[in-house]
Amino acid sequence: MAHTTIVRRSSDPIEVRVLAREAGIHPDLVRRFVTLGLLDARVQPRDAAAILARAARLRRDLGLNYAGAVLACELLTRIDELERRLSRYEPR
Amino acid sequence: MAVAFRDYYEVLGVPRDASSDDIRAAYRKLARQYHPDVNREPGAEDRFKEISEAYEVLRDPEKRAQYDRLGPNWKAGQDVSGAPGFNGSAGYDNVRVDFGTGDFGDVGGADFSDFFEGLFGGRPRGRTRRGGGGFEGFGGRGFSGRGSDQEAEIELTLEEAFKGGRRHITLGDGRDYEVNIPPGVRDGQRIRLAGEGGRGVGGGPSGDLFLRVRLRPDPRFRLKDRDIEVDLPVAPWEAALGASVQVPTLEGNARVNVPAHSSCGRRLRLAGQGWPGPRGQRGDLYAVVKIVVPKRLKKQERELFERLAEVSSFDPRKGS
Repeated sequence: MAHTTIVRRSSDPIEVRVLAREAGIHPDLVRRFVTLGLLDARVQPRDAAAILARAARLRRDLGLNYAGAVLACELLTRIDELERRLSRYEPR
Repeated sequence: MAVAFRDYYEVLGVPRDASSDDIRAAYRKLARQYHPDVNREPGAEDRFKEISEAYEVLRDPEKRAQYDRLGPNWKAGQDVSGAPGFNGSAGYDNVRVDFGTGDFGDVGGADFSDFFEGLFGGRPRGRTRRGGGGFEGFGGRGFSGRGSDQEAEIELTLEEAFKGGRRHITLGDGRDYEVNIPPGVRDGQRIRLAGEGGRGVGGGPSGDLFLRVRLRPDPRFRLKDRDIEVDLPVAPWEAALGASVQVPTLEGNARVNVPAHSSCGRRLRLAGQGWPGPRGQRGDLYAVVKIVVPKRLKKQERELFERLAEVSSFDPRKGS
């Protein structure tokens, strides 16, 4: 998939810089989160900056460490998905 | 100008003599609960800002001391504008100089209250990253970040989702948008409005607003993947003898041939009349035969059915 190359080639300084600018965070922070697997292959590239920004906010505001912020992000994404599925079965 | 007093201790739910550890613990707990990335309830973001503002003051011994000088007898919401020690008066001009550097012009005014600004003369100064907690303050110097993504739901009828096109939506907070709905949008799909989410801090970009599509169930059409199913009521003789009948589609009516000997549940395919796919290919429409018997039979109809019953040896319970 053309998408995942953005993530896979994250050592490429240009991509890191682009993502850092879009997410409004430092490129070092992007590299750090990528190393921890925040942007795995399932992440759509158009969501990558939003996910990075979210992890950065969670880390900053909740006093989480990097791995904790990545975990929180993954769990929130899973909760979103589950709630979305559940809402299909709940009458309004 | 009247400025409402904010009871920062009450906001964090700690006593006035709370230790800095207690304050941090209370902040962390509330922040986890109301952080807009965690809590999507309306109002959570405002509550989180209140909590952040309270923490910004109480975690800093200097600011806390200055806040405490206002005295313990104020109630939240009271006008505090004339109080000694407020609005940079009573010898706190140095604080103004410290904060009022104009660095925060592009942060947006909503982050901290008038009360905070009246007391400290500007928005908070960022801390160094190595500070004790994880909190760097809203709009602080040395930190910038992208605003949070927001999500709202948009409910569409099957027809609206099928056709797509422009649609006007108003969110709960009064913002409204003209949104372009792509034809064939599906349940659960997200439409992205770039830059319409939460505002960034420190010059960071805004987050995005996502509209999550919810398709309202349709009384006639059922969507199954890219195929659409619709019930096709037919008279018993049409089912037996065959007929060309009208079938509703999402684009109006079409005609379909009901072959002779059609029983209930037979699916008649109208190729390419289904839901639009991503590359222009469409699913199929299935008209499902549903034999309907008249509620009342006229005399002659009854006679004909009776005659049919006499001559027919057909027993549907024996298999056909």
